[in-house]
Amino acid sequence: MSALAQRLRPWRAAWPLIPVLLFLGVVFLYPVGQLLMLSGLEKGTSVLTLAHYERLFTSNLYFRVLVITLETSAWCTFFAIVGGYPVAYLLATTSERRRNNLMIWVLLPFWTSFLVRTFAWIVLLGRNGAINKWLQALGLTDAPLALIYNFTGVMIGMSHALMPLAILTMVSVMENIDANLPRAAATLGARGGQAFWRIYFPLSLPGVAAAGLLVFITALGFFITPALLGGRLQTMITQIIITQVQELLNWAFAGAVSMLLLVTALIVFYFYDRALGMSTLAGETTTSQGGGRRNPIAAIAAWIGDILLGLIGRICDAVSIVYERLVPRPADRLTRQWSRTVLGVVAFLIIGFLAAPTFFIVPVSFTTDAFIEWPPKFYSMRWYDAYFDSPIWMAATVRSLVVATASAGLAMLIGAPAAFVLVRQRIMGKTAMLAFILSPLIIPRIIIAVALFYFYARVGLIGTSIGLILGHAVLAIPYVVVTVMAVLKNYDERLDQAAGSLGATPLRTLWHITIPLIRSGLVAAFLFAFITSFDELTIALFVSGGLATTLPKQMWDDALLKVNPTLAAVSTILLVFITIVILLAEYLRRRSVVR
Amino acid sequence: MTKKLTRIGNLVIGRRRILQLAGGTTIALTAPSYWRKLSAQEKRIVVRDPGGPYSAGFQEAFHTDFKKATGIESVGVAGQHEPTSLIKGMVDTKSYTWDMALLSRAAHDQLLGEGNYLEKLNVDTPSIRATAAHFKTDFFAGNNVFTAMYAFRTDHFKGNEPKTWADIWNVKDFPGRRCLRKHPFDTIEMALLADGVPGDKLYPLDIPRALKKLDQIKKEVAVWWTGGAQTSQLLKTGEVDICTTWNARAQTVIDENAPVKIVWNQNLWSSEGWCIIRGTPKADMCREFIKFAVDGERQAKWTKHVSYGPTHPDAFKYIPEATAKKLPTYPENFKTAIQADAVYWGKNKDKVTEQFESWLLS
Repeated sequence: MSALAQRLRPWRAAWPLIPVLLFLGVVFLYPVGQLLMLSGLEKGTSVLTLAHYERLFTSNLYFRVLVITLETSAWCTFFAIVGGYPVAYLLATTSERRRNNLMIWVLLPFWTSFLVRTFAWIVLLGRNGAINKWLQALGLTDAPLALIYNFTGVMIGMSHALMPLAILTMVSVMENIDANLPRAAATLGARGGQAFWRIYFPLSLPGVAAAGLLVFITALGFFITPALLGGRLQTMITQIIITQVQELLNWAFAGAVSMLLLVTALIVFYFYDRALGMSTLAGETTTSQGGGRRNPIAAIAAWIGDILLGLIGRICDAVSIVYERLVPRPADRLTRQWSRTVLGVVAFLIIGFLAAPTFFIVPVSFTTDAFIEWPPKFYSMRWYDAYFDSPIWMAATVRSLVVATASAGLAMLIGAPAAFVLVRQRIMGKTAMLAFILSPLIIPRIIIAVALFYFYARVGLIGTSIGLILGHAVLAIPYVVVTVMAVLKNYDERLDQAAGSLGATPLRTLWHITIPLIRSGLVAAFLFAFITSFDELTIALFVSGGLATTLPKQMWDDALLKVNPTLAAVSTILLVFITIVILLAEYLRRRSVVR
Repeated sequence: MTKKLTRIGNLVIGRRRILQLAGGTTIALTAPSYWRKLSAQEKRIVVRDPGGPYSAGFQEAFHTDFKKATGIESVGVAGQHEPTSLIKGMVDTKSYTWDMALLSRAAHDQLLGEGNYLEKLNVDTPSIRATAAHFKTDFFAGNNVFTAMYAFRTDHFKGNEPKTWADIWNVKDFPGRRCLRKHPFDTIEMALLADGVPGDKLYPLDIPRALKKLDQIKKEVAVWWTGGAQTSQLLKTGEVDICTTWNARAQTVIDENAPVKIVWNQNLWSSEGWCIIRGTPKADMCREFIKFAVDGERQAKWTKHVSYGPTHPDAFKYIPEATAKKLPTYPENFKTAIQADAVYWGKNKDKVTEQFESWLLS
């Protein structure tokens, strides 16, 4: 009895987990579970069968597509992290004012819809597209390069879409790294390379791990970008599931394919977790001297990691030494400065890549042409007229803003406290719980949409904004939990203890100490949640039936025969609107700080 | 210019529009109650259409006049490509966000094959009787014909224009970048026609033969398209020189004066028509709508928005010749047309899709 009470004790402190588990249990697990259960039944009956799973093995198609999906997601994660890290590092280590200005550019891709962004790449990267024309005009290439309708196109489109996610997640962790630590290493004789790779980089690892996880799992669900930018060989498993649900009405088999995806993704998550990621995030095993029980995979990973980082550090230092020998510099300048220059150049190139479609969309919105094309024919306001003259467009915009704000708010309210518990409390089954919280991102949205439709019909939520908000919150919670967990990992709890010892109540400590310190992590989490809802199409369609339309849905409906520049105009308006909101918020915050 | 303009940054916005913005906000915020009111109100039906120019076309052709004629308000709502799963959900749970829908014949077959998800029409008017038998069933009253064909860039094929399906396969005489659909529908038929199978002996489709034929140009296909809007973009920018698509997609490019031409020879047609969702309490009002909508003169009205062919024989009396020539049911275009067999596909879609997807990856 007392043993049981002892085992349950951590759970008493873990009560903030209850809302998130309850919410996902009711709005996600219950409806989706019912739908996935069809995969074990004979069609239209309740007779158990393995037929649908057997079919997965009779054709090698499904495993091939699964492998393609995993490979694509893994490469996309690699590019998003490698490209995002320098930008995140620059943002985290520069002045606050400069950071806020750069952040607006990093966030640009968020505010243009998937559809518009993808069409922007189609026009930029095509055979007669802007990039090929410039390359040929500059004499760099003779014939157009195949930048699109192949793996390259998919990688450009997907890593562009997901890099802001990676950057924001990493920045929120990097901001909390004590800048004195690399300096301490330097005073102990470490050169820049060693100080960075052996001190800074390991400290930023929770951010890298969280970003990698979020990007990878989000990428698994991509299908529009690979379909529009890829070629014959770029088929994603979500596309197969959608075909089964929509075109073949074979929900049982769709369920079986979804289970295949879910199980594979969770296996990947398990090994990822053991190797470097979430267990460091969840604070179960700490640094290499952590002591106590350590799993062998993590031990090996840590061992390899240590050697590798040392090696990279040495290489960097060697390069910088060689560089210094070759290019003598005035004695009063520091090594740090030229590495800063390199960092700056790389980061600006990547930010340029992130902003490229936007630079393209804004001029296109003023074209007289009826297609999204480059170069645009100036100058016409007709696409803005089409937007402002249509009550449907306006209503859709407002509705999307309201729904996205509400669902992001809800996801923060439920998700953030859960993240605190997952990082700070020692409870059993943490990995399993995290896997459960992540699973709404793995299950294809079409499955969630169909499941929610049946569930909502029973509880009277069809056609309501509430239904839409709840559905979008399901998708947003994983982003919130992982992002907040990542930022809390580096948080020095002694600050809270200090506040407590000075007489602050836990609530006051939270409000005056913890929240201000992890502010950027919370903002990033909110943004992810917001944008998840703001760009969501499938659930919106099923829940609303299209009557009270949202912005993404209105865009897709409008683009039935062709993608016309109204979509570019809409994106430009949103871009301007949201940038103004961000600048205004920043201005107000700065004023209040000055005061 | 009597309109008062308000200057916001670089954007010039009319005052009327700001009022509309305010109005839009109100609609958005009260949307759920708006919907509930809508479903509770007696004389209103919700009619699904495929969106885009259809919405504007149907508003002009049907919705406005239907209210005037009958007092019943029909609300057009855009729903995504082949909304069969949503309709299944509506019937299963008796949650009718839509009462009726314009569906493709294939979607109709599938919903019936799956288990009776449509209501029997039981409507009879002289207009419906005058409609050809291949445009209607007990559950489906044809509205328009769309067709799968190919279009090419005339600036690329100057003086040597492709004319048959076989020409797509003829890389030697018709060099150029090709674009096919990443989907077995139509693509299989096209391969068989190119291989010399006569139009009336297409079905049941010889899948191995079709895939073997497709092998011949597998490496030549520059782009595999997945969505209709993509094909119009590809043709417009000249990314590809020959592209299979649906006629309205190519037409929208031609209407923008791009050097593009449609090949009507042996085009593969299918139809879309009105279906009532089974169990809707407003089935009788939907029947009124169908009686109203199946009418030559009214069908003629949407043809200036969407270049698909009206099913009613009288419609062409009301369509100017210039527009009529663009439509699939224009006699000249329909002459060699072949009906895509929705029944065959209904039975074999699952298996053939799997074979086709495997072929793509091999």
